[in-house]
Amino acid sequence: MLRHLFTLIWNRKRSNFLLITEIVLSFFVLFVVSSLLVSSYYNYRQPMGFDYTNVWEFDLNPGQDTASRKETLRLLKQHLRATPGVVAVTHATHNSPFSFSNMNTDQFRYKGRIPSQTEWYEADDEMARVMKLNVVAGRWFDRRDENSGQDPVIINQKLADELFVDEAPVGKYIDDKSSSKKWLVVGVIDAYRAGSDMAANEPALFYRRPLEDTAKSKYGYDGPVLLVRVQPGSGAILEQQLVKDIKQVSKGWDATVNSLEENRRDKMKIVLTPLTALGLVALFLIINVALGLFGVLWYNINQRKAEIGLRRAMGATGAGISKQFLGEMLVVTTLGVVAGLLLTVQFPLLDAFGLGTEVYGLAMLATTVLVYLLTAVCALQPSRQAAGIQPAVALREE
Amino acid sequence: MSASTPTNQLFLDPTIVAARPAAATGKPMLKLTDIEKIYQTKTIETVALNRVNLTIGKGEFVSIMGPSGCGKSTLLSIMGLLDEPSSGQVEIDGRPVTSYSDKELANLRNQKIGFVFQSYHLINDLSVLDNVELPLLYRSGVSGKERRQRAHAALDKVGLSARTNHFPSQLSGGQRQRVAIARALAGNPEIILADEPTGNLDSVMGEEIMDLLLGLNRQDGVTIVMVTHDEQQALKTERVIRFFDGSQVS
Repeated sequence: MLRHLFTLIWNRKRSNFLLITEIVLSFFVLFVVSSLLVSSYYNYRQPMGFDYTNVWEFDLNPGQDTASRKETLRLLKQHLRATPGVVAVTHATHNSPFSFSNMNTDQFRYKGRIPSQTEWYEADDEMARVMKLNVVAGRWFDRRDENSGQDPVIINQKLADELFVDEAPVGKYIDDKSSSKKWLVVGVIDAYRAGSDMAANEPALFYRRPLEDTAKSKYGYDGPVLLVRVQPGSGAILEQQLVKDIKQVSKGWDATVNSLEENRRDKMKIVLTPLTALGLVALFLIINVALGLFGVLWYNINQRKAEIGLRRAMGATGAGISKQFLGEMLVVTTLGVVAGLLLTVQFPLLDAFGLGTEVYGLAMLATTVLVYLLTAVCALQPSRQAAGIQPAVALREE
Repeated sequence: MSASTPTNQLFLDPTIVAARPAAATGKPMLKLTDIEKIYQTKTIETVALNRVNLTIGKGEFVSIMGPSGCGKSTLLSIMGLLDEPSSGQVEIDGRPVTSYSDKELANLRNQKIGFVFQSYHLINDLSVLDNVELPLLYRSGVSGKERRQRAHAALDKVGLSARTNHFPSQLSGGQRQRVAIARALAGNPEIILADEPTGNLDSVMGEEIMDLLLGLNRQDGVTIVMVTHDEQQALKTERVIRFFDGSQVS
């Protein structure tokens, strides 16, 4: 029977061509959407590499104050650190977790190896404590780095894997493409996905930027952002007190405060908006394809009533007719899916967009299942309708 | 037609065609008892068949005649288990089929009955050979190889073995009807139900098809019930049953 179905579909290739094309195009669009969704979900399941709970971000605005910011910030950190309820304070740059800015570079080299785009951050000695970073090799920055005469950096495991492969990175020097500078790796953290819950685990590198060295900020911007870890359960009273203290100590700097949890929620809304829009477009497409398939099958069955009657006369049961139409649709779908797979398998083969073989593989699997499910559901009702056609009536159709 | 002029004895052998049958055995192959068929809509009730009682013996060649709309085709559909009577009983080869399930009816159609239609009902997207194989597709235990062999044999019988890879659209009306007869024969049925098999053909082609059916009946003992409007052809059969307004009149 399968050979018979293939023969029928092959002989009807002209009329099936458009249907197969529609399935291939749908497969491709669904594959793109599935890849993004799978990639996002895959990222979501990865560890963030830091603990954003009980961390408050203070964005400071010195306004027209011309006094030494370095000194003011030093005083502020000292004061905040001494406040009951505060655990640790770090001075961050503007690419703090869940912010809308990021900084990346491709300047790093090791033995000729070039990693993918690397996110870089500036950090002080307390950042590991504030963000509860997980140092898996070496150590975090400390006083030892201050007068060592080296340029210390800390990298994440992803960058370590790309640059050092099987070598232990701690104690090794990373070359800089644009200068003769060499960066000494003093520690490795497991991950740092600061963009959002959906952000990929990109290579990351931290420069040491103690407050005393503010003027040497690589970014050239003395961004007054403080991240403060507070005791669990700290609330509005502590928040108000800290803002008040900041104004007092800094002699008039404005401060706005948000918890990283709030920032995370805000960022999630922004990240989820395009995904939701894409999902809606995909849903709209699926509905359109479904209606199209449904219509084509309905039309086919009405066109082939005489054939249905004939097959019943030859010994087909109603269920057999239903299976035949379902089978034909699945064969047509298989042709479309095979063509779609041949097209989409190029993405992992060419390593396009860097989503990885696993993500593309899962997306192909999900798309295949979805397309089969879609066509089966669309074919089910018309096939049942075909099964219910009275053979004597059908045979009168010309 | 010359390219496919049949060489098969069954087809044109005048001795076979002319011979009157000794075919009918007296044993009933088809028996209809008190068959009624009523089509009902919200406002109208149409009696298509009115208490029809009919017995057709094994190996008999019967023609059914009557004006259009008198119920001939409905009767043939009921005989072929394609339609259910509103009341009454159908027996095939001594077995009452009234309580048969869809699957059992389908099996019985497949095993015992071959159909020939006025408009051939060939599947245009299948080759002649694939069309002839069709009834065997629905028969379990028949291998692909055996299907091919039996389809070739049936086509040989109707003189179309040279056209196996053609498509219906490449054939004349007479050739198409011969394919349809080959399709009916492929399943080796005991009964052939032919609904105006020559209705779409010119007289020469019609004669050829009629000769073929007569050959099948007389040589192979196939029971044939043929609906026709053609008096001349009806007279070639053993028995003519006439219908008028859903009732048997002779």
